[in-house]
Amino acid sequence: MKHLRPVNRKAERIDQAASMIEEDVVALQQQQPPTPPKPHVPMGCTLSFSPGWEVDAGGGTAGLCQPVERDIYDCYVTCFWPVQVPDHVNYSPDWASNCAIATKDWRKLDLVFP
Amino acid sequence: MRMLWLGLIALCSAGALSPAQAGTMFLGGYPSQLMVIDEGKGAVTQEVDLKTGLPMSMRLSDDQKLLYATTITTSGIEVMDVATRKIVNSFSLNTPATHYRFTGGVPDRTGRYFYILGTKIDKGVDSYRVSKQQFMVVDLQEKKVVRTAELEPDDQKFSYRGVLMLSPDGKTLYAFRDKIIVVNTADLKTVDHFDLAKPDFPGMQDVSFGGGVGRLQKPGQFVSLFETQDPYIQNKVFGIARLDLDTRQFTFTPIGPSPKALSGLEVSPDGKSGYTVAINGDLGNQRCEFWSFDLDKNKALEKSEFQCRRRFYFGISGNGRKLYIYGAGFDVAVYDAKTLKPEADWQLTHDTTISGMVIIQ
Repeated sequence: MKHLRPVNRKAERIDQAASMIEEDVVALQQQQPPTPPKPHVPMGCTLSFSPGWEVDAGGGTAGLCQPVERDIYDCYVTCFWPVQVPDHVNYSPDWASNCAIATKDWRKLDLVFP
Repeated sequence: MRMLWLGLIALCSAGALSPAQAGTMFLGGYPSQLMVIDEGKGAVTQEVDLKTGLPMSMRLSDDQKLLYATTITTSGIEVMDVATRKIVNSFSLNTPATHYRFTGGVPDRTGRYFYILGTKIDKGVDSYRVSKQQFMVVDLQEKKVVRTAELEPDDQKFSYRGVLMLSPDGKTLYAFRDKIIVVNTADLKTVDHFDLAKPDFPGMQDVSFGGGVGRLQKPGQFVSLFETQDPYIQNKVFGIARLDLDTRQFTFTPIGPSPKALSGLEVSPDGKSGYTVAINGDLGNQRCEFWSFDLDKNKALEKSEFQCRRRFYFGISGNGRKLYIYGAGFDVAVYDAKTLKPEADWQLTHDTTISGMVIIQ
């Protein structure tokens, strides 16, 4: 990326946003301890293995939300798992309108066709 | 047999809270409700529909007469009269060309203005333009944002999620995030930072941050658990901080090394006992414990492990005798605050949202 430079205002804004999350030069004492590497969890339209569902972020299966419907709504609202559930904020605000309790009434969830 | 047992302990729990002591609990519910729950009965007694969508936060006015709820579906603000359960003000900040993102806010004492922290998204001809994080003042009568000010560049790196508090004189706004940001409300300029972070609790987000969604234990004072870290070996220490909202002074009493994660502090009505949830381990190895504190001596007293959910929120009953675990589902697990042992499981009529819990006596 260091060989690329923004040539218009939109690209400049992207560059500025990216630069805000880059690491700064810090004293050794100020370095955070390294985080251990996590397993690669593939994301895809049908092959999504995500926290709270089939496996968690560490690749494990213990301690997941059971049943998975317990956690489905907050995926829907916070868009953390955008592939598996519709997006509440932008495209499908009515997906859960007829389903008060997902664990009991999941059949009432609306169908969404892309 | 299990249902019979749950029924029996629910009955015992209901009996333990006499109607005179029982409070009224408000919880956000999917898709767009506020559930009103009788703590004595452990059941939903009323549902209030929110026109602007799904509740994301709740905030009680200082006189406990109005409940302010923010919604995410249309970036709305709804004001409910607590006594009558009627919505007295309801509007959305979104327009076809402009959307807002924020998770909560705080009303001023006049009830005219509502302070939020978030971003604004403008729809252009060929793109959406997302603003930097801003403090915004919403006029609840004109039903629109009337003043904004961007956060300082260093403060832009952290999420806009976080609890806001307002001093009783209305002159100072506090944002609790990776640091405490102190803001002058007259011009929305940042005037100070305190190097105290709210405890990091994955999934807890900004709810349940001390005394039930930012409830003041004493007028003008905010008491909660905070973490601080020295700059050399990054040793995280947690303790109890008391922040005087008018004078902007705080005292911090360290208690011990931080566990992996801590929830906020829930405080009993007499202000003497505090409770939190400590989490150690992660994912499949996650272990959760209730910790209780003597707030007079700022001292940890008891701890007890409980079976925690993958994602949950923590609350306390109005009389301080029960602890609640809820979220990611449609039930509230009830624990005895003295023994820290499970007592009952209340089944609700809606899945709970992440709007937190508000309780009035």
